[in-house]
Amino acid sequence: MTYCVDMILPFDYQTPKTLKEACRLLGEAKGKAKVIAGGTDLVIRLRNEEEKPDLLVDVTCLEELKGIEESDGTLSIGATVTHSEISDSSIVKRYGSVLAKAASQIGSPQIRNLGTIGGNIINASPAADTLPALMVLNAVGRVVSSESEREVPVRQLLESPYKSALKPDELLVRIQFKKLSQDTCCSFHRLARREAMAIARMSLALLFRMRDGNISDFRFSPGAVLPVPDRLEEVETFLEGRSPEEDLLRAAACKVSEAIVKRSGIRPSTSYKAPVIEALFLRAMREAMQQCQSNK
Amino acid sequence: MEVNLRFTLNGRMIHVMVPPHWTLLRVLRETLGLTGTKEGCGIGECGACTVLMNGKPVNACLILAPKAEGKSIETVEALASQDSLHPLQKSFIQHGAVQCGFCTPGILMSAKALLEDKPHPDKEEVKEAISGHLCRCTGYQQIIEAIQRVGEKVKR
Repeated sequence: MTYCVDMILPFDYQTPKTLKEACRLLGEAKGKAKVIAGGTDLVIRLRNEEEKPDLLVDVTCLEELKGIEESDGTLSIGATVTHSEISDSSIVKRYGSVLAKAASQIGSPQIRNLGTIGGNIINASPAADTLPALMVLNAVGRVVSSESEREVPVRQLLESPYKSALKPDELLVRIQFKKLSQDTCCSFHRLARREAMAIARMSLALLFRMRDGNISDFRFSPGAVLPVPDRLEEVETFLEGRSPEEDLLRAAACKVSEAIVKRSGIRPSTSYKAPVIEALFLRAMREAMQQCQSNK
Repeated sequence: MEVNLRFTLNGRMIHVMVPPHWTLLRVLRETLGLTGTKEGCGIGECGACTVLMNGKPVNACLILAPKAEGKSIETVEALASQDSLHPLQKSFIQHGAVQCGFCTPGILMSAKALLEDKPHPDKEEVKEAISGHLCRCTGYQQIIEAIQRVGEKVKR
């Protein structure tokens, strides 16, 4: 009865009940431990022997990493909150709808019931679906170890493709962002070879408000087209304070593809991705503008 | 290293000792002999290994065994009773929704979770609920009809 193909190399497994114990285990393992939350990325990497940890530290029993909390101006999401919980949350839909939209399009229902927001960040995939949304929300992660505690903007949690900037003894505990005001218009779009399950070929998140007919506080982040997800400031500055006429939006779309080529270089996929990200950007802008109309 | 696991499996509390690097899928099939749950791709893309964990569909191939601790797991074996098939199973047969049958156990579990949440799903809701499943015989239309029909029967 040992025909089963899901062969994974052995490791020890701990499920700490307190944050202190989790930090101690990670500290003592000196880089030989991996944190596991939902496991939707890690288990595949274990299977492919891309990771060979001595120990897995399961963080899904830690209270500090659970729940979605709302305070005066801030929304705080525990690192082990699943994509399903985020996309179903009425608070996230109200104050950070761009994130709820992104979470609702990840993988499949089964993946969304397991995968967590903290895992999506720390796995640091260039194609991670929640990252563009978190970028435009100016989200900040709270990172804890036995010795220290720090707050790090999500962009700074990412080092290079599939590598987070966390030290081996550090743990991402929560993700926080300022609630969006109700007149914010936002959009998230994702393109993949098919709708469900496939990894995003391209995605993008954007948001802004309209002030006296002009675009204000414009934020934009494309996904799966940069080695490490980021905001595109050149596009943001270009549109800031200007009236969203069709010609201007088209010019901005060109800036989007230019900026991406500048950062990622000409790749085999560029002749496809450049025109398509432009079209995706225009679609997202028009959708967000319609929201602005109906917000009035 | 082995871990001591206690969880509810198809309504019964069970206790097993398994290595922590085994997946829940492997525990179900090899330790517990419940071979209704299938392994297709092994990387969470095909949905053949779908079981319910605390009522929600999940890929058993992506769940390491220790994660089952204290949870309620339901597999396709829970559907039929001693003397009759589950309404979903009957409907699948009536609508010709089973071809090679390899994707069927997983889809039945996603369908069960859907109908418990929304007893009368529309077509889009059914499609969304089974979007994490591949049927390589491509019999999706009959599968969607079979699931929707059960919802309609409940209504009457």
